[in-house]
Amino acid sequence: MPASQTPYDIPAHASTDDPRVTLDRQLGVFEPIPPYPPRTEREAEFYTLADGQMFVNMGPQHPSTHGVLRIVLKLDGEKVVDLDPVLGYLHRGVEKLCENADYHQAICYTDPLEYVSSLFMEWSPVMAFEKLLDVTVPRRAEYIRVLSGELLRIASHALYMGWFALDLGGITPILWSFIERDEIVDMLAALTGQRLLFNYYRIGGVNGDLNHEFLSRLGAWMSRATEQIESNQGLINANEIFVRRARGLGAVDRETALRMCWTGPNLRASGVPFDVRRAHPYSVYPELAFDIPTREEGDSLARYLLRMDEIRQSLRIIDQCLHEMPDGPVMAKLPRLLRPRPGRAYAAIEGPRGQLATYAISDGSDQPFRMRIHDPSFIHLQSVGLLTPGNLIADTMAIMASLDPVMGGVDK
Amino acid sequence: MTVVGRTWDRLTLPGKVLAVVVPLGAIVTVGLGLFVALLGAGIVRFLGDNLPLVRFVAAATAVLVLTIPSAFLIIYLELKVIALMNLRYGPDRVGPFGAAQSVAHGLKVLSKEDFTPTGADVPVFTMAPVVVFLSSVMSLLVLPFAPGLFGQDFNIGLLYFFAMGGLTVVGLLMAGWSSFNKYSLLGGLRSAAQVVSYEIPLTLSVAGILILAGTMSLNQIVIDQSGSFLDWFVFKQPLAFVIFFIAVTAEANRTPFDMAEADQELVAGFATEYSGMRFGFFFFAEYVNVFIVSGLTVALFFGGWNAPIAWPWPVTVGLDPGSLGLGLLALIALGPPALIVALALPFWLTNSRLPFWQALVIGFVLFNLVAVAAFLGLAFLSFDWVVGIVWFMLKAYAFVFVFIWMRGTLPRIRIDQLMGFAWKWLLPAALLNLFVTALAVIVVKS
Repeated sequence: MPASQTPYDIPAHASTDDPRVTLDRQLGVFEPIPPYPPRTEREAEFYTLADGQMFVNMGPQHPSTHGVLRIVLKLDGEKVVDLDPVLGYLHRGVEKLCENADYHQAICYTDPLEYVSSLFMEWSPVMAFEKLLDVTVPRRAEYIRVLSGELLRIASHALYMGWFALDLGGITPILWSFIERDEIVDMLAALTGQRLLFNYYRIGGVNGDLNHEFLSRLGAWMSRATEQIESNQGLINANEIFVRRARGLGAVDRETALRMCWTGPNLRASGVPFDVRRAHPYSVYPELAFDIPTREEGDSLARYLLRMDEIRQSLRIIDQCLHEMPDGPVMAKLPRLLRPRPGRAYAAIEGPRGQLATYAISDGSDQPFRMRIHDPSFIHLQSVGLLTPGNLIADTMAIMASLDPVMGGVDK
Repeated sequence: MTVVGRTWDRLTLPGKVLAVVVPLGAIVTVGLGLFVALLGAGIVRFLGDNLPLVRFVAAATAVLVLTIPSAFLIIYLELKVIALMNLRYGPDRVGPFGAAQSVAHGLKVLSKEDFTPTGADVPVFTMAPVVVFLSSVMSLLVLPFAPGLFGQDFNIGLLYFFAMGGLTVVGLLMAGWSSFNKYSLLGGLRSAAQVVSYEIPLTLSVAGILILAGTMSLNQIVIDQSGSFLDWFVFKQPLAFVIFFIAVTAEANRTPFDMAEADQELVAGFATEYSGMRFGFFFFAEYVNVFIVSGLTVALFFGGWNAPIAWPWPVTVGLDPGSLGLGLLALIALGPPALIVALALPFWLTNSRLPFWQALVIGFVLFNLVAVAAFLGLAFLSFDWVVGIVWFMLKAYAFVFVFIWMRGTLPRIRIDQLMGFAWKWLLPAALLNLFVTALAVIVVKS
């Protein structure tokens, strides 16, 4: 192949009529050529290569993007100069689907958005609909929600431990983290009948009371949970390579984190003690004693350690739930067909990744007129463009993993 | 023609095969016979005159043939050991305990499409796996497995070894450059930078041993360590061992230094565009490399084929089969059946539901096991090279296990940390080690 035909000579703004682009296609080379002419100034700037730079496509089939995310990296050697995340590979139009389903059915559409911890994606729409309908949820149902939610928060954070270590190149922690995750998911399967998309929370309560299998498994697990989780973390917490790579990686100060609208553990790792469970209390959280761990460093290591602290707090909450759970019904008395009065409601909860919120408008029919879902993964993923440039290509995925996005929620 | 064609069509498949194979076999046999009869004496004389050449060819063939099973074994070990560390079962379908899993991998790799991407630099792309594989295999030539059991005893053996190790980089760079893929390119360049950096502390750490042993021949270095385990160089050069082991891990592209194929970053690094047997060559080369660097560590620091304690081996067995005369015939004829029956009887007598022929089958299996064990034990006692190879393999596979263990435990180091570590820590430490060794040698000698 003559030197003049190498793809590196193709200008960034080649139009589709350009013979060089045809050549490009013949060669089977995929260069991230933007729509021509560039739509924005930012696009024009990004897709112009300086001397010695090159584009690398990461995703959507890259082995370590968390879901189908495509990132166009502009590299200078190994160093990331700039990047352009391309979203939409998992877009299903869930909000629109929900607007064409009745209130009960909407829950099973929102469920897969957060496929790592799907109960939380049921919780916030259910709470919004309950506000629209003005329903009082029985206290036992609220306790069950908190109990199962906190269990799933542990499962999600345990998985985070594994994924983060995997993106730094360690292959064992991911499988060790599945010890907890599998146990919890099996437990919840005994409770809800599903392993991944539970579809357990209902408007006005939960679908079914606690059963014997769930409680016996939970009791057996609780007796060894603290010890087991800490022993699993021992493999990476004390690992010099892991700590050296994660410390100072993708550090974000308090102001930037607030300006980027971060919530959840990522924000708390930057030193802001904001937790929806305390700031805007919902359910029975005001009655439960737990701390909000914060860290000052704001780097990937802090984000990781903070989640490990949160696991301990969740264990505390589960313990209290088991001791203080009242008897009673788990479902409010509601008609089969729900027609709330016209109005609007907003409900936010603290998910394992941050503030999960649903904004629903009712027009008096049995379907929501408009439903808007606020997902923390999308908010956090925005910051990848802020955090990654200047780092090496090896750290791109590590930074992304430390923010813990779930692409189902990003693309909706 | 039509007669032949019609007859050929009537043949079944085995008939067709036989119709081709039998005449071919006859021709080959006759040809070989003629060849030997006419040229045999000349060939034997030629081979006798060129013994080193014959030895080299035989060793190279043996090494080429033997690397594949050793790679298979290490691949299986890696799958199984990492699975146990990960709380998984690992391979357990193919063969007993999944032992034939890597054979299945090999067959799969052979049967896959050998894909060349459009735009690849075809000759370089084709040659790269060969260069990588051959450069690993060639290093095996100087590795002393046992007393008298080595390919070639160069007086520059260690230098040859490092030269061959450096050649691997050329292959990786070729693969990275020719694949027409940016991930491959990054992987290839990473491996080049890494190996070039780690070659220096690696060579310097061994310099201490060269001062102590006074030779570069690996065979001679191993002989220098004979005696008890206190004579091993690891006790005389502990710092050098640490440096050497770290550098050799980087040299073999193993975790935590597996920059070149970091799958979380570079998909599969230099091997991204390879498939089929070309990928298989990279794969085999990696695992052969693991064995080679383990063997080199053992040869340099852990006494090679020397036993930890000087045992009174080899002993000579004072039994001359010829002196038995006709008794030998009787022993061969009657010994095995008698032993089989003797081994079968306890099973038959203790288990009333067992038919006698089944007891005999058990006896036969047991007899074979006993015979093989006795034979191996006799060989172990009689020949020092059997003892040597057993010790060498034990030690080498202990290090293979350490490599697998590290892969199961450690995350990957970042490329700038990797470079900083090599130049800021390993190199000064290696220089310090060399200085202290040289000083000690001078002080002791004067």
